[in-house]
Amino acid sequence: MSSRTLLSLCRPAIHSSRRFMATEATQLSSSSTFEPVRSSVQPRKGKKPILNTAIILNRSPLITRTPTTFERAYYAYQARLRRALSNPFPYEFYFKQGSILETRFEMEEQKRERRAFGPTFGKPKEDDDKEKAAANRAAALQLAEQEGEFEEMMPRSHSSDEAKDYKSLDRRGKRNLYLLLKDANDFWRFPQGGIQKGELLHQAAQRDMYDECGKHMDAWIVSRNPIGHYRPPVTLSPEGTPLPEQVTFFFKAHILQGQCRPSENMKDFAWLTKQEIESYVDKHYWDGIKDVLSDN
Amino acid sequence: MLSLLQRFSPRIPATQVRCYARKAESGMDPKREIVRRSLYPNNRRNGPSPTGTWRPDVARAIQHAIPSVQAHNTIERAWLLHRRHVRKRREAELARKFDCMKGAMDELAKIDGHLYYEANRTENPRARSAVEQQMIRSLKSSEARAFDARIRGLVPRELHIPTDTPSRTGWNYDYKPFARPI
Repeated sequence: MSSRTLLSLCRPAIHSSRRFMATEATQLSSSSTFEPVRSSVQPRKGKKPILNTAIILNRSPLITRTPTTFERAYYAYQARLRRALSNPFPYEFYFKQGSILETRFEMEEQKRERRAFGPTFGKPKEDDDKEKAAANRAAALQLAEQEGEFEEMMPRSHSSDEAKDYKSLDRRGKRNLYLLLKDANDFWRFPQGGIQKGELLHQAAQRDMYDECGKHMDAWIVSRNPIGHYRPPVTLSPEGTPLPEQVTFFFKAHILQGQCRPSENMKDFAWLTKQEIESYVDKHYWDGIKDVLSDN
Repeated sequence: MLSLLQRFSPRIPATQVRCYARKAESGMDPKREIVRRSLYPNNRRNGPSPTGTWRPDVARAIQHAIPSVQAHNTIERAWLLHRRHVRKRREAELARKFDCMKGAMDELAKIDGHLYYEANRTENPRARSAVEQQMIRSLKSSEARAFDARIRGLVPRELHIPTDTPSRTGWNYDYKPFARPI
């Protein structure tokens, strides 16, 4: 983000809290991080909202995304061009004349030539000694098998994808997965909790996460800065007076190992992609959190 | 591209070929001969490759690789457009996330000045906090090293980099809890 766009975004905020933003204005142009400033602002008249912290626990993608058909075609085209224009391979420098390794490389190279340019390229050279050439080729194939070149790779889709196991951390390897908990009122939400006295927000976030999801997870909280906030709609108490406002601050965390073991209050948990979360949470919550999550 | 096609068209003779062939000296080490032939091949031309030569059937290869000049230009433009789309989508997502972060910080500033100050403070990543100092005294040396290894502000090395195929062992579900005060 350039500093100019940063300043233009910050301008509306400066109007509302001019006194302690004043020293920040000059520093913002040099760095894109928020500089610490001691606030000399009086607390707002009226009740302060109740602060909550929540954790957006993310399992990053495990495998690379599949290239589109256009991308694959373009890469193949560029590879063909490079191959046509590149220096001829110095066989005698890298391989001993008549060795098995040279035969193996030649076979592979001819296959690559035919794949790049068509069947008129990559024709095997006519040798005088046909038997020796055939024997060399057989030995080269044997060598390839010994070195494990025909080993099977793991498939890119996991069994939990077909089984639709939403608790598995191996599902949807290409996507970002987020942890959602089902609380006692049957609402799906991120792990959340209040703040204790003398505690900072990110410390409260970690404590709440381990309280609700169990300690058997290696979770790394990225930073002290919240990445988003959510104000639930104001509800009325049984007497008809409005209940105090609540604000939830979200913190980003990554899960590196382990699994969630929800506490007794929580009915269920699931690891979901951004699109799946939309169908689980209610509309107001979704509108508050959708811009925080990754599209991938 | 047009110049490349013209240059390697078969009807143009290779007038730029310089022959540096030397008579094979008797008693020359075969290894030195091989290295000399690799670095200075017989059919040197003024090409951009390190030894200044092309493959023997370069004209035919280029004819098969490039459909036509117009097709090549169209492919290039389509690729740049595709990259632009991907870039714009990524930048839009980042802008949305940044706006969320900024909104959250502004809210926090309005609500509680002390928490806002603490959220913005950068701490020394190499220093151990008081809680961590106390914890480390009760740990074994190997555990203490694992404890120190995770530095605030740095990505931990356990964060998996995406690969083309998943690992054979899959996700590690058996993790022994290891307390790390934040």
